[in-house]
Amino acid sequence: MIQLKTMLNCIDNSGAAVVECVNVLKKKRPATVGDRIVVVVQKQRNFGPESSTNSGIANKVRRGDIRHAVVVRAKKEMQRSDGSLVKFDDNACVLVNKSGDPIGTRMNGVVATELRGKQWSKILSLAPMHV
Amino acid sequence: MATFSPIMRQLGCLKSAAKPQSLLSAQIARRSLTTVYTPKPEPVPLPTNLPESFLSQLTPRLHPANGPKKIKIYPPPPSTRAACKDPVAAVTESQLKVLDPNGERKALFDYRRSPRSVKVGDILRVTFKNGDPFSGVCLSIRLRGIDTAFLLRNELTRVGVEMWVKVFSPTVKSVEIVQRTEKRKRRARLYYMRQPRHDMRSVENIVSNYLRQKSVLAGQRRQGGQNRRQKR
Amino acid sequence: MAPRLSDRLIWPSISPWAHQLVNCNSAFIRAFGIRSLTPPNTSRFNVGTDLPVLKSTPTAALERKADTLPLRTGAIAIKKGMTAFYDAGTGKRIACTVLQLDRVEVISQKTRERHGYFAVQVGSGWKHPSNLTKSLLGHFSVNGVSPKRHIFEFRVQDENGLLSVGQAINADWFQEGQYVDARSNTKGKGFAGVMKRHGFGGQDRSHGVSLTHRSLGSAGPSQGGGSRVYPGKKMAGNMGNEQNTVQSLKVLKVDPQNGIVVVNGAVSGPKGCVVRIQDAIKKPWPKVVSASESAV
Repeated sequence: MIQLKTMLNCIDNSGAAVVECVNVLKKKRPATVGDRIVVVVQKQRNFGPESSTNSGIANKVRRGDIRHAVVVRAKKEMQRSDGSLVKFDDNACVLVNKSGDPIGTRMNGVVATELRGKQWSKILSLAPMHV
Repeated sequence: MATFSPIMRQLGCLKSAAKPQSLLSAQIARRSLTTVYTPKPEPVPLPTNLPESFLSQLTPRLHPANGPKKIKIYPPPPSTRAACKDPVAAVTESQLKVLDPNGERKALFDYRRSPRSVKVGDILRVTFKNGDPFSGVCLSIRLRGIDTAFLLRNELTRVGVEMWVKVFSPTVKSVEIVQRTEKRKRRARLYYMRQPRHDMRSVENIVSNYLRQKSVLAGQRRQGGQNRRQKR
Repeated sequence: MAPRLSDRLIWPSISPWAHQLVNCNSAFIRAFGIRSLTPPNTSRFNVGTDLPVLKSTPTAALERKADTLPLRTGAIAIKKGMTAFYDAGTGKRIACTVLQLDRVEVISQKTRERHGYFAVQVGSGWKHPSNLTKSLLGHFSVNGVSPKRHIFEFRVQDENGLLSVGQAINADWFQEGQYVDARSNTKGKGFAGVMKRHGFGGQDRSHGVSLTHRSLGSAGPSQGGGSRVYPGKKMAGNMGNEQNTVQSLKVLKVDPQNGIVVVNGAVSGPKGCVVRIQDAIKKPWPKVVSASESAV
């Protein structure tokens, strides 16, 4: 149930820590796992004091950037085809560019398997774990 | 008329008596035309042995063949409703026979009846058909026939994950009890364990310990000549 | 009785009785009933064999229905509750409704010649004869059927779909895998307001709104719009307890022993309600050999 003003954790290494949903794309309902949303980066991740100067691990996004993202975890339970329900304790997303490729190169955190059915296999393969 | 004296009234009586008789009789005759009661004629019963030829003269209503008929009521066919009082239970039973032929899955979760069953607070490990395992603390068991399910909670990569698993779903390959709860939980639903204060955090360590022990045991068994999947 | 009009006004005929005497085989017969004083003239443009059938006639109605009426009759069932199936291959959970057919029998037939359409009157259950009117008892008795609790008609396309009177319709009338339409009354919600009944938005909680937070706004335009409420205006009223058809439900399981038919998904109405199931009109008709044989 991710909609306007929902705050999500960003679990990739793109540089964003907390983002705010400003739009849900392609549907008139709140977004859930596998849906594409538009977000505003609210909080940057700090990769140490020297990393900001180092261009090598520089944040790819800054505070205030408007980016597309894909929801990978949701607090609202999702029903699987065999009737089982899965829910997470937080809402999380990864940032993607306009063509749908993830901006970050690594992800930390478990994601939902529902991503596979929605053409986000690339994100699923980046994730360390899926449920 | 109040001015009439009593004597005059008596005289009046005489006057009526002195009326000519013919006039009185004429009055009575006139009244009898309208008000004299004549009783309804008694219905004449039909002769019992009326010849056939006279029947045509009777009105159809009085015809002996047209008397009040007795409606024949047919008995109902055998009822399927009586044969099967609870069709939903029957359908569920037939499904369970397919999904859980020896009833061991049902016994594993029927905490009201079987003492060896899973209780809330136990740590379970579920393996699905596609090979994915999921383990966690059992927070709640929902006994609903074919929709019997249990809720597992775990913490993966420091994010709490909860899953309702349907007990009789064919996607569930096996359910193992990793660790039983030490003390009987005094609640049926341990939703308080979602609070940070009571959260059990990750149970992955306990599960990996259990798996290691199990593999050791299985190795011993295999040496002993038995190649069976052990189930606790 | 002849109308009391002057001869000049009635008819340009000799006798005032002329319009009541029908010339039939050159013998005058007195005709009865109410008749128009001015019988319609047959138009010379509206006569002929190749003219299209008028739309408001029963013939046209039957023609329109010809393709959408099912070939065979349906059955009366009782909704017993819901449960679930698991697809053996994919493990998908399928919610389903359990329906039970109880002593369903054909009571009578309706034919085009006598009644204007083809239909099968079907009854189910059993009712104590003392609770039935004499006319209904006679109807059951004449057709040789036990008194039924529920009676419904199922329209069929032609006389091939008519079943013989007294024939039992069991659960195996439907096949596993075929599609049916389930017709039943929805759950009654009583007198409901517009927000619940029609999904209106209601009005503000505050901003000067008083006492009309859940009511409808305007019922229509004023002058220019006719200063009236248009027919069909959505208003508060009784909600639910009206007939609803759920189309194209797949039959998942049939158990003729217990009269059970299990259909995919939900059916309107509470548990224990009467559900009429008939072959789905939006799917190909099921291929049934026995039905065409039994329908003599």
